[in-house]
Amino acid sequence: MDFFAQIIINGILLGAIYALISIGLNLIFGVIKIVNFAHGEFLMIGMYLTFLLFSQSGIDPYLSIPIVFVLLFVLGILIHKIILQPLLGKAEFNILLTTAGLGIVFQNLALMFFKSDYRVIQTSYSAAKIELFGTLVSVSRLGAFIVAILAAVILYFVLMKTRIGMDIRAVSQDPEAAVLMGINDKKIFTITFGLGVGLVGIAAAIITPIYYIFPTVGESFSTISFIVVVLGGLGSFHGALIGGFIIGIVEAIGGIISSAEWARVFSLLIFLFILFVRPSGIMGKNARV
Amino acid sequence: MKKIMEYKTWIGLAILFALIYWLPLPIYILHVIILTLLYAFMGTAWNLLCGYGGQLSLGYAAFTGMGAYTTLLLYRSFDLSPWLGMLLGGILSTLLMAVIAYPCFRFGIRGPYFTLASIAVAEILRDVLTTLRELTGGSLGLSLPYHPTNFWIFQFDGKKEYYLIILLFWLIAIFIVKNLKRLKYYLIAIREDEDAAAALGISVNKTLLCAALISAFLTSIGGAFYVQYFRYIDPDSIAGIGLSVSIALISVVGGTSTLFGPSIGALILVPISEYLRLSFGAKFAGLHLLIYGVLLIVTIRFLPDGIISLFSRKRLRRKNDETKKQSETKVERGNANE
Repeated sequence: MDFFAQIIINGILLGAIYALISIGLNLIFGVIKIVNFAHGEFLMIGMYLTFLLFSQSGIDPYLSIPIVFVLLFVLGILIHKIILQPLLGKAEFNILLTTAGLGIVFQNLALMFFKSDYRVIQTSYSAAKIELFGTLVSVSRLGAFIVAILAAVILYFVLMKTRIGMDIRAVSQDPEAAVLMGINDKKIFTITFGLGVGLVGIAAAIITPIYYIFPTVGESFSTISFIVVVLGGLGSFHGALIGGFIIGIVEAIGGIISSAEWARVFSLLIFLFILFVRPSGIMGKNARV
Repeated sequence: MKKIMEYKTWIGLAILFALIYWLPLPIYILHVIILTLLYAFMGTAWNLLCGYGGQLSLGYAAFTGMGAYTTLLLYRSFDLSPWLGMLLGGILSTLLMAVIAYPCFRFGIRGPYFTLASIAVAEILRDVLTTLRELTGGSLGLSLPYHPTNFWIFQFDGKKEYYLIILLFWLIAIFIVKNLKRLKYYLIAIREDEDAAAALGISVNKTLLCAALISAFLTSIGGAFYVQYFRYIDPDSIAGIGLSVSIALISVVGGTSTLFGPSIGALILVPISEYLRLSFGAKFAGLHLLIYGVLLIVTIRFLPDGIISLFSRKRLRRKNDETKKQSETKVERGNANE
């Protein structure tokens, strides 16, 4: 029984991380309708930033959350303004491939500056574990869980209660009507892209104590966040959370039963199944898109 | 007049290819030419479904992987000639494509959803290849036992034979895509307006499926050539997302839904990437791909119809005007409906 509880708790903790990584991707798709293939690479950049802040200035990953968030927010805004905005409204193809091209650029920038070495940061709590519901839980994973939930809650309130959040939701629901109501859609797109990338920055900061950092670290997270997002429903806020937890638990169970690779194959099969049966995802509104 | 121009182009190409064969070119140059033709071949195959049909797939590495591993494993285990293995791999790839494409087209999975599904299939295949360590050697890869200069087992000492074979493959692909006129028109009609195409009596699913199967088969042949030529494969390089993205980017940069677009993309990008790798690869790891990525983004930004649009500016402008007119009428129609 304890063993089972351990797996479920591990899955939930992992799921929160996946959810936080995916929310940014989902926000960008929901509002701008861009599938951002450089998503994992933004995560990788965030992880290296956290690593640099820690190794150069000794800033704890948790303290660097706001710094990484702001830096990636600005990076996202710049990328959107300079590269993606001019392509909006033209061939969908080209935007997709441009983000894939951006991914190549970021990966190789990292490779140039940091080489392909695996980096790791050692904090005082890296190996610490505490007892929770009769199971042992790693402190850094628990911390990541708490931050992910907090970030999701804050984002939810920003989207629901603030002016900018309402503008974002309006543009997401009906861009033309939103423009007619006096909302500057270009500004909203830019801010949303920045916000989406910034959220990945938060995720990057909290997973840096847990995972190795290397130039292609984003790839596997990219795939997972696509799975999570489609599972929950592209463009659905709650969907990303639910999808994150489902995939987290599936991977935790699969990792115990067989190997991590089979667990991934299994998640991908679930992903394809959901895509065929219910392409709008579990929480999506439209049955067909 | 157009016919004469066409013949001139073909004769020019024939002379060029013959020169490449007869001239004593340095081995490295010949290697780059073979690579260019390989990517041109795979890009042409990709273009059929993804360019003409407008269904962006970023999972074609599934078929190169399928073709390469089928050919190699059958040769290693049963001494089966790679020529036959290649055909079997092609058939398996076609089946794989049918399994994924049929439900996609049947359930109307389009746009980014189709792209994601294609990536998922390629990732599944890569994971399976990595996991079946006893059979495939896992991520360490698998090499082809060396028995040079034998046509039946598709191994040669020099590069000229490989050059002739891939040239032939490329010509066959071009010939197929050139002569599937009806299919191409149907595909373009579906890409531009699926409902209108269906209303005109085009069977949307059947057309897309047909294009998908042909293009998967050809891509798989490309994968089989890859393993015979390089004599070594591993799941990441032959079935990874990197190869899928390269095939797509080469085609888009060259110009999709044109006969020679992907080949022009390969002709420009492959030598550039090889040159950059040679000059910077050793000293600054990553720099060559970085420059490559920037080039791609810039090309897509400023030549959204691909490099080929530079050669056919006039025709393209006329086409754009027409589509603009069409979309205007569509808007009017839309307003009338409201």
